Amino acid sequence: MIELDGVTKAYPTTTGPHVVLDRLSFVFKDKVSVGILGHNGAGKSTLLRILGGAEQPDEGRVHRSGRVSWPIGFSGGFNGSLTGEENCRFVSRIYSADIDAVVEYARAFADIGNYFEMPVRTYSSGMRARLAFGLSMAIDFDTYLVDEVTAVGDATFQEKCRREFAARKERSSVIIVSHSLGTIRSYCDLFCVIRAGRLYVFEEIKEAERAYQAA
Amino acid sequence: MTYVNGALAQFRVIHALALRETKTRFGQHRAGYVWALLEPIFWIGTFYALFALAGREGPAGMDLVPFLATGIVTYQIFSVTTDKVSQAINGNKALLFYPQVQPLDLVFARTILEAATFVIVFALIVGANALAAQTLEVGSVLRVLWGMTLASLLGMTLGLVFCALNVVSQTADRVRGPMMRPLFWVSGLFFTANSLPSQVREVLLWNPVFHCTEIVRDGWFPPYHAIHASSAYVLVWVVGLAFAGLTLERVVRRRVQVT
Repeated sequence: MIELDGVTKAYPTTTGPHVVLDRLSFVFKDKVSVGILGHNGAGKSTLLRILGGAEQPDEGRVHRSGRVSWPIGFSGGFNGSLTGEENCRFVSRIYSADIDAVVEYARAFADIGNYFEMPVRTYSSGMRARLAFGLSMAIDFDTYLVDEVTAVGDATFQEKCRREFAARKERSSVIIVSHSLGTIRSYCDLFCVIRAGRLYVFEEIKEAERAYQAA
Repeated sequence: MTYVNGALAQFRVIHALALRETKTRFGQHRAGYVWALLEPIFWIGTFYALFALAGREGPAGMDLVPFLATGIVTYQIFSVTTDKVSQAINGNKALLFYPQVQPLDLVFARTILEAATFVIVFALIVGANALAAQTLEVGSVLRVLWGMTLASLLGMTLGLVFCALNVVSQTADRVRGPMMRPLFWVSGLFFTANSLPSQVREVLLWNPVFHCTEIVRDGWFPPYHAIHASSAYVLVWVVGLAFAGLTLERVVRRRVQVT
């Protein structure tokens, strides 16, 4: 569960502070997958970083219970000069997971062949996403944070991810941010639209779609 | 219990970071560790040649190679640690995506890696020299390590100040290079405090790095007594710099943008 309580975040710009999140309060419940829609620059990735704890809000509080993943799809947590395997070993160490089990799972899931033993900087963006997903699936999280804007990959891989998340629905939830309805439709139970620093919540995707397109 | 768990988690993160830094720092080339040896050996070789040309020897009771090695390696522990720590946040922003990795963990990991590297480099150089000279006499290994620890702490805390400044300003790092350069010449790499005229010595003893090299030499050479060096003086610098560095880190913490 992740609880946001009056979270505000602004970034300094040359024309004064730009408020990205404006006094947000919301509870992401366990086992309820949430899809968050927003246009470019609406604050989707900022929200994800704050949910994951990579950034601190300027005001307000974030309460987390259970294991929350880092924002997946973003592959910046990888060191380009280390191999895929070495990156996996590092991440399993900081999450105190079983290193060999994580490496084997990530290797099988990412399915990138010999590239697994090559420096990550030689990867295509699709291969990075495969590795990032494989690695995060190898470590058991209660909540997965997914940035769909950058989580690319071909149709077969997308389908593999979908099946994997469906199989874990009983124990884990997903929070996906995206600027299109595609994936959110099949993954999520609750839908949000982020606009002008506020979060609007919808039970039905149709309503979310209408609000999103009106924006 | 929460404190114990917190300490264990931090230890785990620092351990993982140190291993990762080892790979990125040395793993790029075959025999990557050889490169760590190269710079101190280059300096020692250069000054050995200069001393030989000028017909000079080490100060009384000091063999020239260990004399230069104690000075140069101690100075390098300080300066390379400062350099690496000052880039700890800027060079690793992507890592801060993992919430359990905090800027200070990066600082500790890099400090430990540099200290360990240079202690090994020092042991290899003086070891090789002892084999060549067929003689080895060491006063106190503990005191040598203590002097190096002080140099490492000085490097870490000064690096932390620059590391925090680097988050908010581009100028800080430009100043660092020129500011550090004179220290190479006034930190006792090529002379000892006991051999200086008292007026010069009094001025140079303001420099805490000089105290570190003096302590290392006091430990290494049984006949040498660093009567002018003071660990307490170095520690005052360490505490002062740590206070400044940690305060600055607090101030800029929210301004680190994870990209």
